[in-house]
Amino acid sequence: MLPSPNDNIFIVLPAYNEKKEVLEQTVTSLLRNSYNIVVVDDGSCQKISLPGHTHLFLLRHRVNLGQGAALQTGIKYAIQKGACFIVTFDSDGQHDPGDLPAMLAPLQNEPVDITLGSRFIKKGSHNATTGRRLVLKAGRLVNYFFTGLYLSDSHNGFRAMTRMTAEKMIITENGMAHATEMLLVIKKNKLKFREIPVTILYTDYSRKKGQSVFNSIRIFFDLLLHKLFQ
Amino acid sequence: MNGIKILLITGVAFIAVYFFIRLRNSLFDILLLLLLIAAAIVFILFPETTNDLAHKLGVGRGADLVFYTSILIFWFVILKLYARIRKLEQTITLLVRKNAIDEADNSVNE
Repeated sequence: MLPSPNDNIFIVLPAYNEKKEVLEQTVTSLLRNSYNIVVVDDGSCQKISLPGHTHLFLLRHRVNLGQGAALQTGIKYAIQKGACFIVTFDSDGQHDPGDLPAMLAPLQNEPVDITLGSRFIKKGSHNATTGRRLVLKAGRLVNYFFTGLYLSDSHNGFRAMTRMTAEKMIITENGMAHATEMLLVIKKNKLKFREIPVTILYTDYSRKKGQSVFNSIRIFFDLLLHKLFQ
Repeated sequence: MNGIKILLITGVAFIAVYFFIRLRNSLFDILLLLLLIAAAIVFILFPETTNDLAHKLGVGRGADLVFYTSILIFWFVILKLYARIRKLEQTITLLVRKNAIDEADNSVNE
């Protein structure tokens, strides 16, 4: 293996009021593989501070804008820093850094533009409750309705894309509707995508921190309005 | 002139003054506003005219016609306002993003 083969890989972590230990743990586990990390503090009540590291970049939104906006900031910064591959990753510890090579391989070795993590390809790779599973299933239909893409997982924050794709990913939905907006970008630019099985670990923490099932209704209306006001 | 007429005309007058103070720069706005105010005052002073208009359009009462058109106008206003809020949100997002990236670059250079 080359000394630092992951130098051109940037991982964007949007963080909002994340518990310090959880965020630190996520960051350390990613730094171990010498990836570059861009943490975007989306205006957390308490300013996020992390131990300094040459591969760690910390950005802070002055006010809370939403996950979509934080991702876009991180992606933009990563492009400026010369990233060849950009990964979006959740900071609440629900994603497994061990899935990263599998997410990146198609981008590096094949003409795939973006890979999307999916918890539903492989059996037993998630421990979601029945309610959440149903909502995610409904989300697939909603995504299909808005974008024409029928994916196995509708709302997974784990994605990896090439620099070229990232340059096209201009997300205007600040809230949670960005996940579907990304699919719209894929569709519009005819990008080659692939779904990769990933493990999602719902901990008590990520469940509490994450979105409630009812938030899906809000996302739906955001999408409707996005279509109307495009 | 009865009480409700005085009340409504006073209200219209207040709104008119307020708008004149705020939008005196555009001639088109002023003309439109004058037209609307004139129409409002005519309808307040002679409510029967709305009845005649309503009957022509197949609506039972003048008051109902006013009610229906108000709903339409309010929907239009809400959509306009929403579009403006979204635009504002995008502007703020761009500013906050620029600020975040600039600050990160500065702290790296330090």
